[in-house]
Amino acid sequence: MYDKTIPFDAAIRWIKKETRDTTTYAIKIINREIQRLYAFKPGQFNMLYLPGIGEAPISISSAPIDNEIMHTIRIAGDVTTHISRLNTGDVIGVRGPFGSSWPLEEIEDRDLMIIAGGVGIAPLRSVIRHLLVGKRRKKSSIQYQTGKKIILYGAKTPKDMIFRDEFPRYMDAFEVFLTVDKADPEEYWRGEVGLITGLLNKVSFNPLNTVVFMCGPEVMMQSMVRELMLRGVPGEKIFISMERNMNCGMGICGHCMFGPKFVCKDGPVFRFTDIEGFLGIKEI
Amino acid sequence: MIRVKIKKEQLKLIFNRLKTSHKIIGPKINNDVIVLTEIADFYDIPFGYREQQGKGTYRLTKGSSQFFSFSVGPDSFKRFVNPPAREIFAFKKSKKRISIMSSNKSSAMSNEKSDSSQLAMVRVVQHSSSLPFLFVGMRACDIAALRLLDKVFLEGHVKDTFYDSIRRSSLIIGVNCLYPGDNCFCSSINTGPEIKDGFDMAITELDKSFLLEIGTPSVREMIDELPVENASNEDIAEKDSLIANCKKNMKKTIDISELPWLIYKSLEHPRWTDIANRCLACGNCTQVCPTCFCNSSYDYLQLSGISKKIPELSGTRIRSWDSCFSTNFARVHGGNFRPSRRARYRQWMSHKLSYWIEQFGSLGCVGCGRCITWCPVGIDITQELEVLKK
Repeated sequence: MYDKTIPFDAAIRWIKKETRDTTTYAIKIINREIQRLYAFKPGQFNMLYLPGIGEAPISISSAPIDNEIMHTIRIAGDVTTHISRLNTGDVIGVRGPFGSSWPLEEIEDRDLMIIAGGVGIAPLRSVIRHLLVGKRRKKSSIQYQTGKKIILYGAKTPKDMIFRDEFPRYMDAFEVFLTVDKADPEEYWRGEVGLITGLLNKVSFNPLNTVVFMCGPEVMMQSMVRELMLRGVPGEKIFISMERNMNCGMGICGHCMFGPKFVCKDGPVFRFTDIEGFLGIKEI
Repeated sequence: MIRVKIKKEQLKLIFNRLKTSHKIIGPKINNDVIVLTEIADFYDIPFGYREQQGKGTYRLTKGSSQFFSFSVGPDSFKRFVNPPAREIFAFKKSKKRISIMSSNKSSAMSNEKSDSSQLAMVRVVQHSSSLPFLFVGMRACDIAALRLLDKVFLEGHVKDTFYDSIRRSSLIIGVNCLYPGDNCFCSSINTGPEIKDGFDMAITELDKSFLLEIGTPSVREMIDELPVENASNEDIAEKDSLIANCKKNMKKTIDISELPWLIYKSLEHPRWTDIANRCLACGNCTQVCPTCFCNSSYDYLQLSGISKKIPELSGTRIRSWDSCFSTNFARVHGGNFRPSRRARYRQWMSHKLSYWIEQFGSLGCVGCGRCITWCPVGIDITQELEVLKK
């Protein structure tokens, strides 16, 4: 195995602008040996490193089955700002993959509901593509294809909606429900307007047979969990991906501690009931 | 276990025997405080000293006839296995390539110099000496703390090779505490005062001699060369009564029966606000704590490493101690998870006394009392825990 404390080189293969502040980068590991050994699961993240600037934890937005490793990055801090200035062919440092993944074994013979807010769709796109591409190529993920699959996605405005061009393709395998907090007058928008919790009224699902994968702002996730549980979804079947200040990726730096959990190694994907007691506590 | 005894003044022979093969780290007086540092001479060890410790106070006094009558100072041995700042790797970046020159990867003891230039601002611990460490005078709490750090750095997802190489090559000569420090509470969390395992040699200071317990074969052969005699049952009985006496004299206790649940149910206790009104968030407690391991990594660039003519950038990546009391410790883009002191103190104490149990299977506190002595406003973890019960 390669050393996960030392970054390896990856070259940017192509760049696709998603929204005004969010961009998808496809990267390729340069070292052949690491390329061969590198394997991730949907939901995991990499530490992206720019020498002299720093590191940032970024979830992987492509599926393991894809030919490239993709990262969908919103400009938020130093590292992401500098990444936004890079071009095709530029090289970045990568450490990873780190963290837990979406529990795909949970959705065998069950329905899946994917709930995402804002850039939180990025780690979930990994699952979506895993199921979608796997179905098309009749690869191993076919075993998860039995149940019903729903995507609920909310963004601020239609312009902030990431992967907007990809949703028509997702409809091959998923029921897709989109909403925006505010519809732009200039933008043609056919979907819903309002909070994502409102979408639950439009969907028909069996709460006792549904597994939920969710990622988004913490407030959104908290109110969503409340709504889901009111409708009878058991807390054990809700999985959420958390965001913290990951620094080492291995649980030895202490930055990402959330209660007794290290988000970088115990998470970012948690079973809701495992962290329930800490979610409501301010400044934990 | 082999138990022998040696005349008091002959302890020097052990020191001289190991001086040639090891870099000896032990207690020494520096600026009226006992610190841990490299000691070249046997008489550097501050024999005959006692200290008075209180909440936020520390005074050294001479006047004891015993050799090891002092207890723990502000330093802990973590600074040698997990240095305050160290280089993880050096890098050079050109347009198409990032070259990483990893330092200390295979062996921390190697003489190999990484090709990074000398750092001006950050003092980075590099081991130029090829000698392994000998830790002299480790107390039971310090040995317990080292075992906790093992859980963090060696038994997690990834092994810290730097820590591992130091840990494996170091020898430990422990000293059983017979006179508890005023802030010690190790007996109530079963980490001391007696050293039970994890040592190469443990010393107990009896009335007329030193009782030596040999834990590993690495020091056993050395004993044959020394003028030792076998320890009698009376000697062992004397040791047991001295340790029992030390336990009895310990002034502070911590009640671990309700941990970790007591903390979990007290996360919204009003006492946290009260502590926050006193706490300066200086982070002293985290620096003196022998088990606090939080760290941050950042890039250090010299001005000469940034050149416009050559499109190349060079520098080093440094890992240094950090503290959960630092304002930006829990910062993510656009926000800070723990802006208030209340939350940051709570994080520290909850981690020590409860989260640690879930993370690593044992308490994160070893009862050395350093956080009480070196807190400038005298916050006492044992007392605060008592208040949380109410």
